[in-house]
Amino acid sequence: MRLPSGAILAAALCAWSFAQPTLTPAQRQLNVDSFEQVWKTVRDKHWDPKLNGVDWQAVHDELRPKIEAATSMQEARDIMSDMLKRLKQTHFGIVPGEAYKELDQKDDGKSDHSEGDPGLDVRLVDGHALVTFVTPDSPAAAKGVKLGWEILRIDGKELEPGLAKVREALGSPMLAELIETRSVIERMEGPLDKTVEVEFLDGSDRKLSLKLGRTGPRGVETVLGTLPPLHFWVDAHKLQPDVGYVHFNMFFEPEAVESAMKKMIAECRDCKGFIIDLRGNPGGIGGMAMGLAGWFTKQSGLVLGTMYLRTASIKFAVFPRPNPFNGPLAILVDGCSASTSEIFAGGMQDLKRARVFGTHTAAAALPSMFNKLPNGDGFQYAIANYISEGGRPLEGIGVTPDQEVKLTRHQLLEGQDPVLDAALSWIHGQ
Amino acid sequence: MSLFYIGRNIAIGAAMVLSISSARAADDLPKADTVLDKYVEVTGGKAAYEKHHNEVSKGSFSMAAMGLKGDVTAYRAEPDKSLTEIDLGGIGKVREGSDGSVFWSINPMMGPHVKEGTEKAQAQLQSRFNAELKWRDIFKDPKTVGTDTVDGKDCYKVQLTPADGSPITQCYDKESGLMVKMSMTAQGPTGDQPVDSFVSDYRKEGDVLMPHKIKQSAAGQEVVIIIDSVTFNADIPADKFAVPDEIKALATKK
Repeated sequence: MRLPSGAILAAALCAWSFAQPTLTPAQRQLNVDSFEQVWKTVRDKHWDPKLNGVDWQAVHDELRPKIEAATSMQEARDIMSDMLKRLKQTHFGIVPGEAYKELDQKDDGKSDHSEGDPGLDVRLVDGHALVTFVTPDSPAAAKGVKLGWEILRIDGKELEPGLAKVREALGSPMLAELIETRSVIERMEGPLDKTVEVEFLDGSDRKLSLKLGRTGPRGVETVLGTLPPLHFWVDAHKLQPDVGYVHFNMFFEPEAVESAMKKMIAECRDCKGFIIDLRGNPGGIGGMAMGLAGWFTKQSGLVLGTMYLRTASIKFAVFPRPNPFNGPLAILVDGCSASTSEIFAGGMQDLKRARVFGTHTAAAALPSMFNKLPNGDGFQYAIANYISEGGRPLEGIGVTPDQEVKLTRHQLLEGQDPVLDAALSWIHGQ
Repeated sequence: MSLFYIGRNIAIGAAMVLSISSARAADDLPKADTVLDKYVEVTGGKAAYEKHHNEVSKGSFSMAAMGLKGDVTAYRAEPDKSLTEIDLGGIGKVREGSDGSVFWSINPMMGPHVKEGTEKAQAQLQSRFNAELKWRDIFKDPKTVGTDTVDGKDCYKVQLTPADGSPITQCYDKESGLMVKMSMTAQGPTGDQPVDSFVSDYRKEGDVLMPHKIKQSAAGQEVVIIIDSVTFNADIPADKFAVPDEIKALATKK
């Protein structure tokens, strides 16, 4: 049977595309160099000389021929990612070079990317993506989106199958909430001049499809070293006349957090209690956990935990502030609270200086660094292990709240925040 | 930038332990007194140092792996007053200082801190102005303990033991007599941190030869400090070394 000429041409092009490497020899060499850098960095800098029991030389010998044969950047990335996955630890990964290119293009310390979001925050509750926050004056607020609405589809794509795949790939509930939540939020992000269509299940269990515009991310843009630009915000106010409340989205901008804490502690000298809300906070600068803890104790010599590097260990010592708050302290966490959030919450829990409310944290506490690889990609690697003061490694275990409080769709629809309510109730019961 | 000052004051933290070649027999080595005195001599001589009563150094601070950069300014004055300010993008201003009595740090990440015990003793040592001339007062029985090779240069390792704190090892180029490396263990509330400092790019400032590049390794991090300018006998405001209010509040409690 003769094939139509067009089909022959297409087949020929297809064959050509498979036969021809998409990378130049120089690019392939850069990938090999990157592979070697990643392998050697882990060998030389991993805090555990035994590398979690992995035969690292054997991993090298198995994958080196594959990286030499890789014909695309994606394939090379996958091979290096595979190598890192053998460690079975978080905070080891390959970051596509595009993120670095974006950084390199800016010359004024500000990114010029136009991404935004509709102004929604989301949490996975029993596998359902529920709206937990609507930014005032955002496109989502303008269209009347309410707390507790469930997100069913984004731009026509059903959420559940994708989330199920993520769950299956992770194979563990640890980190799942953080990754699944991020994946839902990221699907709604995009250019400011375009809309995103979101199908909700509203408060009356009706399906409702809304085209939502986008607005710039909440907060101010912050740039720290080689990290991509991030948006930071801090919210500090009295929840009730006698309870101080500080909520910030990341452990960055130390001076802004310090300023908010200073103001709130001064205003709250006679408060019945204080709440630090770390829900959704993925961490950031580890040292800030020490600084934050110092606002809540006058006792010198306390330690939140210890970070173990290959050649040294660093105690996360608490430096008491001049006039700390000594009343009841509640810390709110959820499955999207990670890293520095876990160091702070776990340490304060171990020191019995705070009561932790919410759901289990992400269990991803290891401190990590980013290096640029010869092929332009980024390489994230953990430089240490971390053991909380109570003797537990937070990585893979996380912080279990003293009082577990789960969100429910019903309570969200009623405008309630059961986690916050539980903390307030505890404070007033002291 | 003082010889003993570079140990930790302007580093945020850093750590790596380098392999050290085996020590030769002590009787093959020059006496520590000879090595330390030679350093003073080759960097300008006692009289040149004694002309100086204070110093302002300005430069840059970088942690390449993290992409962090900042400006550093260090003020120092007789006998042991100091103030170091590092303005780090994305973090804020990190300060360490002393009025000769209270030794402190203020870090936007960790908060204010008054140094006590061995940490204070180390800070006091690092704040000594013209410490190069005063090693006989500061250290007990310095010893030349071996040799090493740093950046291709053979050097004599001299071990200096302060009254309080762990020993400091400094390596002096056999040929030039210049110090090329210093190793110490910084002690404080965060634990004992080995710090290695590699000094290079010696250039004259006035009549004194000074290192202008300091590379520090500690806690898996590498910090590079480049000194762009040094002014001796500068017109430093009288309150420059005053203890900040938040430190006073802490110091009063103690």
